[in-house]
Amino acid sequence: MPPSELPPDHEPFVEFLDDYFAECDEHLMGARRLLLALERSVGRTDVNTPVLDELFRRFHSLKGISGMVELRPAEELSHTMEEYLRALRRRDTTISVEGINALFDGTHLLEQVVGARRSGGPTPAIGPVVHAIAALAGGSPGSTPVLPAEPAAIAPSASSAPQWRFVFTPSRELVERGVRVDTIRARLMAIGEILTAAPRVIDGGLIAFDFIVATTADPETIAALREDGVLAEPVSRDGAVAPSPAGPAPAVDPDSRIAEAVPVHSGVAPTHFVRVDLTRLDELMRNVGDLVISRARLGESLARAEAHVPSSDWRSIQENAMIIDRQVRTLREGIMRVRLVPVGEIFRRMPFVVRDLARETGKRVRLELQGQSTEIDKFLIERMMDPVLHLVRNALSHGIEPAEERLAAGKPAEGTITLSASAAGETVTLDVADDGRGIDVAAVTARAARAGLRSVAADDEAGVLALLCTPGFSTRDESDRASGRGVGMAVVQSAIEELGGTLRLETTLGRGTRFIVELPVTLAITDALITRVGAETFAVPQGAVREVIEVPLAAMRALEQNEIAPYRGGALPIVRLSRLFGLDQTARDRLHVLVIGAGVGALGLAVDRIAGQREIVVRATTDPLVKVDGIAGATDLGDGRVVLILDPAALARRIRTRSHAAGRLAEGAA
Amino acid sequence: MIVDDSPTIRKMVRASLRELDDAEFIEAANGLAAIEQIALGPVALIVLDLNMPDMHGVDVLKFVRAHRRSKDVPVVVLTTRSDSSSRETAIAAGATAYVTKPFAPPALLASAEHLLSAARQPQA
Repeated sequence: MPPSELPPDHEPFVEFLDDYFAECDEHLMGARRLLLALERSVGRTDVNTPVLDELFRRFHSLKGISGMVELRPAEELSHTMEEYLRALRRRDTTISVEGINALFDGTHLLEQVVGARRSGGPTPAIGPVVHAIAALAGGSPGSTPVLPAEPAAIAPSASSAPQWRFVFTPSRELVERGVRVDTIRARLMAIGEILTAAPRVIDGGLIAFDFIVATTADPETIAALREDGVLAEPVSRDGAVAPSPAGPAPAVDPDSRIAEAVPVHSGVAPTHFVRVDLTRLDELMRNVGDLVISRARLGESLARAEAHVPSSDWRSIQENAMIIDRQVRTLREGIMRVRLVPVGEIFRRMPFVVRDLARETGKRVRLELQGQSTEIDKFLIERMMDPVLHLVRNALSHGIEPAEERLAAGKPAEGTITLSASAAGETVTLDVADDGRGIDVAAVTARAARAGLRSVAADDEAGVLALLCTPGFSTRDESDRASGRGVGMAVVQSAIEELGGTLRLETTLGRGTRFIVELPVTLAITDALITRVGAETFAVPQGAVREVIEVPLAAMRALEQNEIAPYRGGALPIVRLSRLFGLDQTARDRLHVLVIGAGVGALGLAVDRIAGQREIVVRATTDPLVKVDGIAGATDLGDGRVVLILDPAALARRIRTRSHAAGRLAEGAA
Repeated sequence: MIVDDSPTIRKMVRASLRELDDAEFIEAANGLAAIEQIALGPVALIVLDLNMPDMHGVDVLKFVRAHRRSKDVPVVVLTTRSDSSSRETAIAAGATAYVTKPFAPPALLASAEHLLSAARQPQA
């Protein structure tokens, strides 16, 4: 298609790029969902027309908005896909496997093109995919007008539910009560299937909307709509409306009925959602954070004042302080809940990924999703996308066996990958399980030995996991690894740890593997241990600390640059924060050690003493000039002192890479 | 009134027309909501997308032209380029102006200003 002829002084709408990306996400996600639905029509003559129509509209919208932000490759690609879908709609033909695959490829590429614009990376070439799709579409593009959808005589209904006609007459009073045609439509969609929706002119030139709905809702539910000005009457099965209880049928201007038979898409989004810019929520969260700090400060002032206040007065002060405490907590939880989104957002793209990879590897795989409505912080969900994706890919490429191998092992030919989410208290658990071959611990250990790493017992799942997550370690051959699966398990683990989460492994040879990711529901406010090192105070997020132990100095042994202490029958590398940060250390005969991580990845952080435990507000240090590896941010303890928050995962990584050799020596010495 | 199912486009249209004097914007994300706005009160100008999910823009346009309250309201059909032959369909259905996306903000603004002043003339 020709480039758009815009005047040279025109400025592209860069200020709306964020809106553009958000809308692209919505359309691409929708397109993927629709493609999966369309795939069921492959080779069949009864192509799902509403699905095709909506898919067409998605790409049409993508083309429109991509053109506005002058992202030409996205515009051209959407245009090509749109043309192909137009041809499919027109041709009244079956969809081929090549056709559906081309649409999947195009969607994938489009996502990459938009992603490249977002991240500022190089735009992938679209030529080959555009040509492939254009070849499928055949004929010259752009020659057919977009006309209104063919009016369906009577919208076909899959359901045999009774049909009702609902008539809604909008008014200013109703709008003031929040009742609009969109809200009525959303309510009708909730109780049944909307078959048609159309405006018409009634008495006195008023405008009303007619909805024909197939619904099995009980009479009370239907009557309840009446309160919002909606009249309801049953429609008899032959399509005629039963005599209206509202009196004679109003005179209708024939011209105004034109739209009456335009079919309605059931995919119209209900409108009781508000899209909020995440930065606004962050700001609210920061405000609440300030409130938490001020409350702590007030607590300290009150404690000092207690001695000077008569006890009768003191009681009411304290009661009020407690009420404020409770309210601050409620407010904080409320805002946190607003930031929560269903984990299904991660899940939704998985069928797409599994499908692609199954196609590539020739394996037969079924994906089961559970607990999509479990909620988690928006921030976390965005950062969990890639790790979960990687785990699912691993399950398919390493876990699930080829069909013949499965049949030989007495399993169904089709493998199952289960992706589930659940919440308990402040923790969300994501679980990626497969019924594949399991992890061969002997093979892992043999490879580990060749790489000069320590060996683990067959039942030591934490040990196996630690080996899998060692940077550069792979259970597969180089050629296989080069097939471009991107990040390794090391990256998965560090991403999870960065979010304050943990990764666990359960595996049974021949039966399957399960990766369990545990994450905090939210990040911004967290419980922390307040520790002292020399004259300095550090906060350590409590979720990262496995346990706190005391180690007598006499039990410590030096190894190269590191120190180790006996721990659970093994050796624990100890890092003294005083040395790491070059601080004076108070002379003591015992050290307090925070144990971070588990298995071979465990690490002890030695501090002088633990001063307490409290709720802290995490303020990230994002300025690259200020950013120090191992420091997650800063917090204010309420007494005006700014305290650094340690990032145990980053510290552990820094030290682990340094102490590899020492770890092996320790193994020999223990 | 700006009628488009894309919130991004609605924002862009609004930004393009922000220089209109004393303009009050209303937005509708679909055809039914647009017609509801017409039922609720007078509008001076409609910027209308064609390809929308529930009710095609051409049907919205026909309804607008058929209703006595809105029959004289200027309508700028704003639609994605390449369905150029729907121009005739839109004009036949009563479109006052036809602008394709991607649109240049100054062009849309000029078109809107022209239509608004032309509509004001007869009453003045």
